Amino acid sequence: MTQSDTLKIVIVGHVDHGKSTLIGRLFYDTGSIPRVRYQEIAATCRAQGREFEFAYLMDALEEERDQNITIDTASTFFKTAKRPYVIIDAPGHKQFLKNMITGASSADAAILLVDGAEGVREQTKRHAYVLSLLGIRQVVVTVNKLDMVGYDRKVFGAVENDIRGFLHSVGIVPSHVIPVSARQGENMAKRLGHTPWYSGPTVLEALDTFENVHGDRTLPLRLPVQDVYKWDGKRIYVGRVESGEIRKGDEVVFLPSGKITKIKSVEKWRTPDLPSAGAGESIGITTRDELFVERGEVIARRDNAPVRTREIRASIFWLSDRPFQAGASYTLKLATAEVTATAVAIEERLDSSSLEVTERHARELLATEVGNVAFALKNDIAADLYGENIALGRFVIEDGTLISGGGIIRSLAADSGGSVQTVRLDDKFIINDDGSFVDLTRERREVDFYVTAPFLDYLSAGNRVLFRLRDPRQVEPVALMAFEHNLRFSFGRDGEKINLILFRDAGKTATAEPEFGGL
Amino acid sequence: MYHHLDELESQSIYIFREAYRRFENLAMLYSIGKDSTTMIHLARKAFFGRLPFPLVHIDTTYKYPEMIQYRDRMAREWNADLIVGKNAAAIEAGMGPEQGRLLCCEKLKTDGLSRIIEQHGFHGLFLGIRRDEEGSRAKERVFSPRDKNFEWPYKDQPPELWDQFNTSFEPGTHIRVHPILHWTELNIWEYIKREQIEICPLYFAKDGKRFRSLGCMPCTGPITSSAATVDDIIEELKTIKAPERAGRAQDQENAYAMQKLRAKGYM
Ligand SMILES: Nc1nc2c(ncn2[C@@H]2O[C@H](COP(=O)(O)OP(=O)(O)OP(=O)(O)O)[C@@H](O)[C@H]2O)c(=O)[nH]1
Ligand SMILES: [Mg+2]
Repeated sequence: MTQSDTLKIVIVGHVDHGKSTLIGRLFYDTGSIPRVRYQEIAATCRAQGREFEFAYLMDALEEERDQNITIDTASTFFKTAKRPYVIIDAPGHKQFLKNMITGASSADAAILLVDGAEGVREQTKRHAYVLSLLGIRQVVVTVNKLDMVGYDRKVFGAVENDIRGFLHSVGIVPSHVIPVSARQGENMAKRLGHTPWYSGPTVLEALDTFENVHGDRTLPLRLPVQDVYKWDGKRIYVGRVESGEIRKGDEVVFLPSGKITKIKSVEKWRTPDLPSAGAGESIGITTRDELFVERGEVIARRDNAPVRTREIRASIFWLSDRPFQAGASYTLKLATAEVTATAVAIEERLDSSSLEVTERHARELLATEVGNVAFALKNDIAADLYGENIALGRFVIEDGTLISGGGIIRSLAADSGGSVQTVRLDDKFIINDDGSFVDLTRERREVDFYVTAPFLDYLSAGNRVLFRLRDPRQVEPVALMAFEHNLRFSFGRDGEKINLILFRDAGKTATAEPEFGGL
Repeated sequence: MYHHLDELESQSIYIFREAYRRFENLAMLYSIGKDSTTMIHLARKAFFGRLPFPLVHIDTTYKYPEMIQYRDRMAREWNADLIVGKNAAAIEAGMGPEQGRLLCCEKLKTDGLSRIIEQHGFHGLFLGIRRDEEGSRAKERVFSPRDKNFEWPYKDQPPELWDQFNTSFEPGTHIRVHPILHWTELNIWEYIKREQIEICPLYFAKDGKRFRSLGCMPCTGPITSSAATVDDIIEELKTIKAPERAGRAQDQENAYAMQKLRAKGYM
């Protein structure tokens, strides 16, 4: 971790409690507002006949200034002696919760702001809960507008108690609760002396106490396949390492397909042969076998892989005006995977502000509500519990074409892949040297193959292997294996059954020239 | 080992690859400036040296000649497919900043762009805007839809979280993709230095002046500066107090000039 690592902080809290003002004031006190920008804001305020509004630094849209409300989240950039910051302003109005979540979802830490005169309100609690759902654990509370209550220590103490109590119920312990006046600048960048009873840090000092959060290299490897490029005669799987580390030579599994191979290279542009890559890096890899896998598969190590599942239970938050409905189907986007999912049951429906369960086995969720939902997925996906691996433990929900909600996985049922029989092709079966064969005529399930290096060596040595198949549907997995490992085969009908002979031409690639005929 | 520039770069590559996977017909808007030049470098990183979509430059005919020379030279170097678009009708009719700077921007840039998009049927367009440039850009999404009238629905943008982007669009609409939205001006220069990216010479001081932001001749002014190298510029940016686009006259027309232009489809 270097000193220059940027930290992203979101400012949240109830509407009108002073979030945007806090940012504007912090910038002003640290000399971070360009003079022309200051003059522009001053001129706008004069024209509106009001006092200087620090909030206008963030509230740049005309509609926002006319109504004195933040509509959409905005980011701004800021630097202390310690490190650079991205400061994310979030709107407090309930109607703009989707924008608040958009802003908060990328934050490493948060400042939760409460108006000291008004105390804890509906969105204060909702935003605190959203922080906990989003996994933001580093929180500082500021109790604002204390100038309006004469910097009364008792008023501050009462609000502090309230908010600590609520945060406790959502599993957050604030590192500091700071009495401030954003407008007057008390305890923002400096102490003006109105709160002699407070000995903690200013807001500016508190920022520097947050810790940087990074994708974790020490967690198990998760590399979701983002795309497959077939360029320069090779197959490059690209993606971003979400956690852990991938190394050249690693034996890995692709999930949910279950295919196993070795990493041949870890690549970036102009550095096509890296020894490894870690969490956060966007890379490309090639593999020993040219596997036929698609976007959405996740690369992991075999002994510590995500779960292959079709059944998940999740806490979801809903953001669309069109209600989320039990029984309806949605698209879940989890890392790079996409899957159709049916909401089997909304087991609990919650008010995201009071945290009360308002209904069990509910029929729908409205915008801003939270629910504990059981989903049945149409296809297998690779996933983790949110508590174990964030990147594979969360998803967004698309209703039609728009992102309408998000969810975090609380439990999932492992799918043992019971409908598919994996046939291991290794040297154990190559025992007799006259006519080795694989008999699949009695296999009723779908098959796929786990190909080992000795098996490929055996073929490379010029040997042929006979596959006896029950029906034409079993040709596909053999063809897929041939595709992935550059093999050829011949086809022959044998009554109702099929004989395939798998082989490798020395020196030729399988695609060089088609060969017809068979046995 | 993991530098903040690596993090920014990785995120940009992720965005590029996401868009490339999702949209069949993509193009990248190339303004010749430092940001879009850096964006091209990032695209080549994402696609292992390739530029798998055309570059579009909207020429207003008011650009500095050095810009056009540099553009053509670089396009050859990158082996890029360069499409130059113009709103020829408006240019012939004599459109210029004398008719009003904002009107001129709208006619020559916004309309020029909308024609090209329509002509080529682009579904997605990469743009090198950044959140720290000005207030309305600070509110942008990474994947930002434009409606049938080319308008930006800034009062009701769809949510965007956890790097899951809105990628569906209706016929006649398109999505603006912003791969360097999260970069600052200083980040861009630090990266130009690290990656040794060749930048248009107008950015470097000559006779005590340089351009901090490049645009059309009548509406773009240089700043007083002696920064003649990338290192000088990085040092200068650490102390400079004026905003980056101070030299761009259209931004200064009124308080909401950029918001109004951008609402109608301006970059
Ligand atoms: N007296 C006093 N007024 C304040 C203080 N902080 C903010 N205000 C005023 O409170 C009003 C709301 O401030 P904003 O910063 O816009 O509030 P916000 O939390 O960003 O509001 P939304 O983003 O719309 O949720 C403005 O008129 C501010 O001037 C303060 O410390 N003291
Ligand atoms: Mg606000």
